[in-house]
Amino acid sequence: MKVRAENHAMDCLTIPATGRTPGVSFDFANGHLRMTGESYPDDVAAFFGPVFEALRGFLDDPDGGPIRFDMELLYFNSSSAKALMNIFQMLETVAKGGRPVTLTWCVEENDESMRELGEDFAEDLRHVVFQMREMPAGGPP
Amino acid sequence: MSFNLFAAEEEALAKARALETRLGALAPDCLPEFRDLIAAFELSTREQQRLVRVSDRLQGQLNDAIHELDRQRSEAEAALDHLREAQEAMVQSEKLASLGALVAGVAHEINTPVGIAVSCASHLADATQAMRRRADGGTLGKAEFARYLATAVDTTDLILGNCERASQLIAGFKQVAVDRASAVRRTVNLAAYIQDTLVSLQPKFRPSGHAVAVYCPADLELDSYPGVLSQILSNLVMNALTHAFVDGQPGGMAITVDCPDADTVRMCFADNGRGMSEEHSARVFEPFFTTRRGRGGSGLGLHIVHNLVAGVLMGSITVCSAPDLGTSFTLQFPRRTPDRDLPVEALTM
Ligand SMILES: Nc1ncnc2c1ncn2[C@@H]1O[C@H](COP(=O)(O)OP(=O)(O)O)[C@@H](O)[C@H]1O
Ligand SMILES: [Mg+2]
Repeated sequence: MKVRAENHAMDCLTIPATGRTPGVSFDFANGHLRMTGESYPDDVAAFFGPVFEALRGFLDDPDGGPIRFDMELLYFNSSSAKALMNIFQMLETVAKGGRPVTLTWCVEENDESMRELGEDFAEDLRHVVFQMREMPAGGPP
Repeated sequence: MSFNLFAAEEEALAKARALETRLGALAPDCLPEFRDLIAAFELSTREQQRLVRVSDRLQGQLNDAIHELDRQRSEAEAALDHLREAQEAMVQSEKLASLGALVAGVAHEINTPVGIAVSCASHLADATQAMRRRADGGTLGKAEFARYLATAVDTTDLILGNCERASQLIAGFKQVAVDRASAVRRTVNLAAYIQDTLVSLQPKFRPSGHAVAVYCPADLELDSYPGVLSQILSNLVMNALTHAFVDGQPGGMAITVDCPDADTVRMCFADNGRGMSEEHSARVFEPFFTTRRGRGGSGLGLHIVHNLVAGVLMGSITVCSAPDLGTSFTLQFPRRTPDRDLPVEALTM
C-alpha cells in the first residue's frame, strides 16, 4: 500500500445520495472520485462546502497519484453546474502540474442534450483527459 | 448581422487585447499578470454561456414535464368522465328495473279480479245456455228458473265487484306509472297514494306473510312529485323484503306519517327485521354499497332514494338501525316542494 502524506486528513469522503443531493464517493486512497444521482440542493454552500474542502486537501498533496473522476449525475441545476465547472478547473490545474487526470462524463443512452453539455464542459480542459461513457438508461446510478 | 447575446463581453475582451499591446510597450513586467486576467475573464465568459445553456435545458425539461402532466391530467379526466357515464347508465338501469318490478306487481295483482270475473262470466254463460235449451224444449220449471235467477244475481255481483276492483287497480297504477315516468308535480292525497303504491307491491310480500301497516292522516295533501315518492317507497319496501327478513319468518313493516309543523311532512318507514351494524348503516347511502354483491344487489337503491329525497323533494333522509332491532328510515320534506329550476327529469324516470 502506498504511503500517503500526513496532510491527508481522510481516506475517503462518502455522502449517500438523497432526493435533492448527489451521492459522493471520493476514494482518495485510490484516486477514484465519483458523483452520482441528482443535484439540486436547497443550500448549495452547505452541500458543496465540505466536498470542496476535502477535494482541495486531496489535490494539494504534492506527490499524489493519478486521478479518475466519474461524473455520473443524471440531473443537476445551474448552481450545481457551476460547482462542477469549479471542480473541473481544480482538476485542470493539477493536471497542468503533471498529475494524470481522467474525467469520465457518463450519459444515459439517448440523452443527447446531456452529451452536448458534456462536450461543452470539456471545452476548457486541455490537460485533463476527457472521455464520454454511455450508461444504460434507467439503470442504477 | 447576427444577434450575439455576449456582444458586450466580446467587446470588452477586444478592448483588453488592445490594451495588452499597449501594455507590452509601456509596462512589459505587468504583461503576464494582465494575460492571466484576460484568460480568467475569457473562462468566466465561457462559463456564463455554459450556464445559460444548462439553465435553458432545465427550463426545457420543466416544460416537457408540465406538458406530460397536462396530458396525464386530461387522460385522467377522460377516464373519470367514462366512469361517470357508466355510473349514470347503472343508475338508469336500476330505475328501469324498479319500474319493471312495478309493472310485474300490478299485472299480478290485476290477474286475480280479472280471473274471477272471467270464470264467473263463463259460469253464467253456461247456466244461461242451459236455461235457453230448457225454454226452447218447453221443459223449464218455475223453481229451476228461480234458482237460475239467484245464480245470475250472485254471479253478476261478483263480476261487477271484481271488474271494479280491477279498474281501481288500473287507475291507481296508471297514476303511479305516469307520475314515475314523467315526474309530474301535482297535488295528491298522501294516504291514498301510499295505498296505490303498496298495491303494486302486494304480490311481493303477501305470499311470505309480510304485512305493511300505514298510519297517515287521511286528509294530508301534498303538492309535490308523487312519482318520486312512490319510487322511494317501493325501494324501501323491496329493501326490507330482500335484506331485513330472514327467509320464512313473516315480518312487519310500518309507514308512519305526521307533520312536525304545517309545512313539513315526516314519513318514517320501519321494519322489524334483522337490522344492520353501525358500520353498515353509516354506508347505506353510498353508491354501490351492497351486502348482496353478485346476488342481485347493485348498491344503488338507497343512493337513488337519497338523491330523490334531497334533489327532488328537497328534504332529508336518515337511517336508524341496530342488529336484530330492525331498521327505520325517516324522511322529512316540505309539504309543498319549493319552486326551483332543477331539471327534475335528470333525477327520475
Ligand atoms: N331494511 C334493511 N334492513 C337491513 N339492511 C338493509 C335494509 N335496507 C338496506 N340494507 C342494507 O343496505 C345495503 C344497500 O342497499 P341498496 O342501496 O338498496 O342496495 P342493494 O339493495 O342493491 O343491496 C343493502 O345491501 C343492505 O345491506
Ligand atoms: Mg336495494
